[in-house]
Amino acid sequence: MLARREVLQKCFALGSIIIASDFSADSMLFALQEGEKPLPKPTPTNPLGPFYKRLTPVNNILRAPGDPGLPLTLSGQVVDTRGDIVPDATIEIWQTNHHGLYDIDGYRYRGKQTVDSTGAYSFESVIPGHYPDKTRVCQHVHYLVMAPGHKPLVTQLYFATDPAFEGDPRRNYARDPLLQTPELIRPVVLTGEPNELHAKVRFELYLERL
Amino acid sequence: MNMKVAALTLVCCLPVVASAQSGRQVKTINLPAGVTVQYGTMSRAGTLVATIDCDNVVRVWSTRSGELLQRLADGGHPPTDVEFSPDGRYLVVAYQLVPNEKGVLRIFDVDSWKMEHEFVVPDVFALAISPDNRRLALSGRVTQAWDVENSRMLADISPPFGGSTSLSFSGDGSWVATADGDGHVRVFDAATGKPRSTGTEFVLEPLAVAFSRDNKSVIAGGVDKTLSIIDPETGKVLRTLTKQPGLIISLDVSADKKQVAVIYGSADYFDKVGHLMLWDLDTGAVLADFRKPGITIVGGAFVGDHYLFAAASDNQLGVWSLR
Repeated sequence: MLARREVLQKCFALGSIIIASDFSADSMLFALQEGEKPLPKPTPTNPLGPFYKRLTPVNNILRAPGDPGLPLTLSGQVVDTRGDIVPDATIEIWQTNHHGLYDIDGYRYRGKQTVDSTGAYSFESVIPGHYPDKTRVCQHVHYLVMAPGHKPLVTQLYFATDPAFEGDPRRNYARDPLLQTPELIRPVVLTGEPNELHAKVRFELYLERL
Repeated sequence: MNMKVAALTLVCCLPVVASAQSGRQVKTINLPAGVTVQYGTMSRAGTLVATIDCDNVVRVWSTRSGELLQRLADGGHPPTDVEFSPDGRYLVVAYQLVPNEKGVLRIFDVDSWKMEHEFVVPDVFALAISPDNRRLALSGRVTQAWDVENSRMLADISPPFGGSTSLSFSGDGSWVATADGDGHVRVFDAATGKPRSTGTEFVLEPLAVAFSRDNKSVIAGGVDKTLSIIDPETGKVLRTLTKQPGLIISLDVSADKKQVAVIYGSADYFDKVGHLMLWDLDTGAVLADFRKPGITIVGGAFVGDHYLFAAASDNQLGVWSLR
């Protein structure tokens, strides 16, 4: 198992700790020229299973004290494709533990919450591990987002720091056979002291209206 | 790439406990150099096996002679599923045209290899053909029932979210059962899409579903590692068979509806396939338990008093008999 410092060194070496905008330079320039805020596209979908588990309890603290792995805060906002906040959305997430294993018998690293009045959400977890012996499946967190009047969104969040992307997710995203777009790969921001590092990832979720 | 094929692409042939019981290899087919099998299926008579291979080619082999009978490719478009019709007359191949958006289904006569039908559909993850060859069910981004002759969609039977992993027609083709990602097994009228009941809820995802040949029960299993026998009329679970260590990947019911063959994955993942069990549906007893390291069981058929199945390894396709 890699120590946190080694993980960090590898990430920096690969240039994969990135702070990036949600929008490309072209789309931002177009928006400035037109004087309009670009409307978001719906978040791309990604397969649900097969380890979705019904009846996940309401809980946004998935990390227990002493759990191995790099602590992770996942946060974002749920809006629709007109840019309006979706204040009554429910988000379920599930992921492997640090060792790449899902909890099938219980609900570890599975959580559910309703967004607040601004559409915001957050979960406390750890960076998930790779599936054992499967280097082509990148680290990911599953999302199921439901809101009245909107299409359910089933997708997955991937990490720009995943070694599989070799520091260039836009070029190398297809190394995971389930990834059809780099849009689901999010930058990872590391904060804290070297011996108390903490990863933060924002994942905005754009729902389609029915 | 389709999840079904992608999953098997990632097969890890780690050794598992070897305890092959009454299973014997009856034919070895050497694959072309560099070709590995990603997915496969066997005709119900056990005479043909069709595989989706890593070079995006569907190959059809004779299980008796080991001869390559047909090679089907579509200009690099990846095949996403392949299934024989229950009577063995047709082979249906799905190709992906646009990921997550569009695919094409081609139906071939397996004697002449003439393409009988072709129609553009949403992407296809799984498909099933009714016993009378008149209807098809497919799942991908959506789950739908289709009329084959008129290339017309009959009904949208999509679950609220998560798609369908497995589909099965009743013996008369009038009902279709779906194993859905949202944790339900549902039964629909194949012509209208009307649900037969509110469905059966599972906490974990069902991955395989099959009607019994007399239409009186639906058998399902998945991540919960347990076979459930369901009343299709009410959706009620009538009974369950003993839970096993591995995830249930696929299942196949015998014509006399007394046996079911179940392919299991590993305890943690659905793609380490090297374990097959034959169950007596009446008694719940295990009739045979076949485990073999380094192989991936790709499909089989009840033939006479034994279960014939195909299993892939690095550069070979083996045909095995289990009784």
